[in-house]
Amino acid sequence: MIKKRLFQIFGPIFAAALLMLVVFLSPLWARFNDVSSEVQNNAASSLSPLVLKGGLVKRVAMDDHYVGFFGSSEWSRFDPFHPSVLAAKYHRSYRPFLLGARGSQSLTHFFVMQSVNAQLKNRKAVFFISPQWFTPKGEDPNAFSFYYSPLQTTTWIESETGTKMDRYAAYRLLQMPSGSSDKVIAAALARIAAGLQPTAFQRAYVGFRHRILTNEDQIYARFRIPSTNAAKIRREARQLPRRYQYDNLNRLAGKIGQQQTTSNSFGINNQFWNKRLKKHVARLGNFQQGQSYLKSPEYGDFELVLNQFARDHTKVLFIIPPVNQKWQRYTGLSARMLRQFDQKIQYQLRSQGFNHIDDLSQDGGIPYFMSDTIHPGWRGWLKMDRAIKPFLTKSVKKPHYHIDQRFYAREWDNEQLFNDDDGYYSR
Amino acid sequence: MRWYIPYGNPTYFLWLGLALIPLMIGLLYGHRFRGYQTLISLLFLVLTFGGPNWKTGISLIGYLIYQVLLVAAYSHYRQPKGSANRGWVFVLAVILAIVPLVIVKITPAVEGGRQSIIGFLGISYITFKVVQTIMETRDGMIKTFHPVLFGQFLLFFPTISSGPIDRYRRFLADYQKVPEQAAYLDMVQKGVRYIFQGFVYKFILAYFFGSILMPQIEMQAILAHGLSWSIVGYMYVYSMDLFFDFAGYSLFAVGISYLMGIKTPMNFNQPFKSKNIKDFWNRWHMTLSFWFRDYIFMRLVFFCMKHKIFKSRTTTANVCYVINMLIMGFWHGETWFYITYGLYHGFAMVINDAWLRFKKKHQAVIPHNKLTEALAIFITFNVVCFSFLIFSGFLNTLFFAPKPF
Repeated sequence: MIKKRLFQIFGPIFAAALLMLVVFLSPLWARFNDVSSEVQNNAASSLSPLVLKGGLVKRVAMDDHYVGFFGSSEWSRFDPFHPSVLAAKYHRSYRPFLLGARGSQSLTHFFVMQSVNAQLKNRKAVFFISPQWFTPKGEDPNAFSFYYSPLQTTTWIESETGTKMDRYAAYRLLQMPSGSSDKVIAAALARIAAGLQPTAFQRAYVGFRHRILTNEDQIYARFRIPSTNAAKIRREARQLPRRYQYDNLNRLAGKIGQQQTTSNSFGINNQFWNKRLKKHVARLGNFQQGQSYLKSPEYGDFELVLNQFARDHTKVLFIIPPVNQKWQRYTGLSARMLRQFDQKIQYQLRSQGFNHIDDLSQDGGIPYFMSDTIHPGWRGWLKMDRAIKPFLTKSVKKPHYHIDQRFYAREWDNEQLFNDDDGYYSR
Repeated sequence: MRWYIPYGNPTYFLWLGLALIPLMIGLLYGHRFRGYQTLISLLFLVLTFGGPNWKTGISLIGYLIYQVLLVAAYSHYRQPKGSANRGWVFVLAVILAIVPLVIVKITPAVEGGRQSIIGFLGISYITFKVVQTIMETRDGMIKTFHPVLFGQFLLFFPTISSGPIDRYRRFLADYQKVPEQAAYLDMVQKGVRYIFQGFVYKFILAYFFGSILMPQIEMQAILAHGLSWSIVGYMYVYSMDLFFDFAGYSLFAVGISYLMGIKTPMNFNQPFKSKNIKDFWNRWHMTLSFWFRDYIFMRLVFFCMKHKIFKSRTTTANVCYVINMLIMGFWHGETWFYITYGLYHGFAMVINDAWLRFKKKHQAVIPHNKLTEALAIFITFNVVCFSFLIFSGFLNTLFFAPKPF
């Protein structure tokens, strides 16, 4: 009698728990791979953290004709000359898959890459390096948490082999609160960082978590992808002429830029100016004096990204943007320091064989090049297109990368030995 | 070691389920393992008030000692046969009982939003229990005082953070006996159902309204600068979130109580089906509303009638409605929107009563059918949702708060 009642009460709960385990552990979901082209299109410009943290949608899109555009807040500055708009309007053979938004830096991108390693193998990518990432503190733990994906972490742990790259990634992840959000995974990370293999139990646990997280991604990833940016791209494209002719477009970029920067003398777009700067501008004079992008843990994190690209033999175009020159002068940001930053980052790239670099760092004074203080707009996007278009539409020689572990060292993070005249220094 | 907000995440439920098994087996076979129950109560209190929240834990202990001593003292004064029953002693006891809560409520208003150091999660709900005990002691309804049982009542962990607000005598009767086996199985069945209904409410519906819809519509309303339809949308979304979140929480608290063989009273009874505001307050946050009815409204009415303050009974009731709801507003917090919310409901009650009297007088001409009932529900629903819009403080953010940029 008691048994029967108890079974009636608790039976359904156990059945539900069992059913949930069966559903989320089932290997069948791996076949559930269809992502409609509309969803791919929306996802490619959504800039949504869900897309960044997931796997399926990116994989399917990048197996199609999408190319990963790694970066951060600049991607959200949609205007008619934004790479996504140009690619759509002029029916290019590629479409940008925008990866990253405000606060996503190298460490986030290293983990994002784990979800698309197969899609990066021997293919192309574009990587936008923001000098503003390279602050003395480096990646902000809160921003990192916002984009932290347990799925990408388990994917990486399953494939790690104890290389310097893996050990460094584990060490950095443990410095973020996200790294300790799961106790067992944190313990596994500590072992990896110390150069040990995770224990058998940790491996089993990571495998179990990985299966569930993968299935969740397979089941839910397609849904709730915002389409507002895709619509914005369609709207912006209408302002462009039918034919792609650089000089024409450059003139148009200047015209639109002029129309949209009437409120201030910095060449900053009206919306940004009125909403974000106008009220504070008086206080901001010389506020960036002494700011340096030369000493930062970000250099080591950036090496993680380079190391992963090298492993995947990805052909990468790196873009180094300028800072709005008028703003830079007004806020007292050192031009010398920016030049040194450019040299330091170029050294890290070129000395390891990453030779496709679109260096725009000296263009911050060109009118209507920047949309606001640090983000390119109209003419800036267009000039970038001069590098992006040939890189992605023509064949590029197989790269020869040689990773130098020195770039993981703290000495490199703190290296400041660059001066204006020598060009690249060598030890 | 991890620390938990009660019913905040699945792991909390897992620990709770495991901890309750021995207690439930005992109840099933006719025993209440009181020592064990005390032990797990302490454990779950530590999970909530320990770790990073240890300061509130200290506040809770200090508060508890203070209140037990206070009620013990008043009981000592009032309970012996033929004891005195002076009004001022009673008033003093009530004032002393609510002083900590008043400090906690006023501190943020005068200290620019800073929380008082004597506050802790659930202080209001424990204060309600204390005041109720003092009032019933004065009335001679509570005839004995036992500090440990009283402590068990105040600290009953399933309801500690946000109620429902139980009554001392009712709680004690459940705590001191063990239900019959069949009756207990019925309780377990109900408890399990409540908990799962709570999952649907809190983790699905409240999540949908509160975490998915609300941020979007909030953004739209803020970007619209001023009055917009988005505010109306926000009003409904907020109301749904408020209900499903709180009702879900209450279902957990009641469900867990049932598993422990304690019939904690229900807090919500399909409030959006209410046909008028009075009906609404009989269905919404019932244990709070009944507490206010029994210990503030009724007492005020008796006081006014005894001292013949107002001539007409209607005036008495009206004034008491407004005062009653105004006090509820002040209890929510010392901001203009909580206080307006209280006044709004006070006047809604007054208007409601006037309408009901008018309707009764003109029964012959005012129709009453399914359609008018539907209309009544519609109007009540919107009046209530509007009050929640005030309550949400969103109008404050929208019109009075400094803009971030």
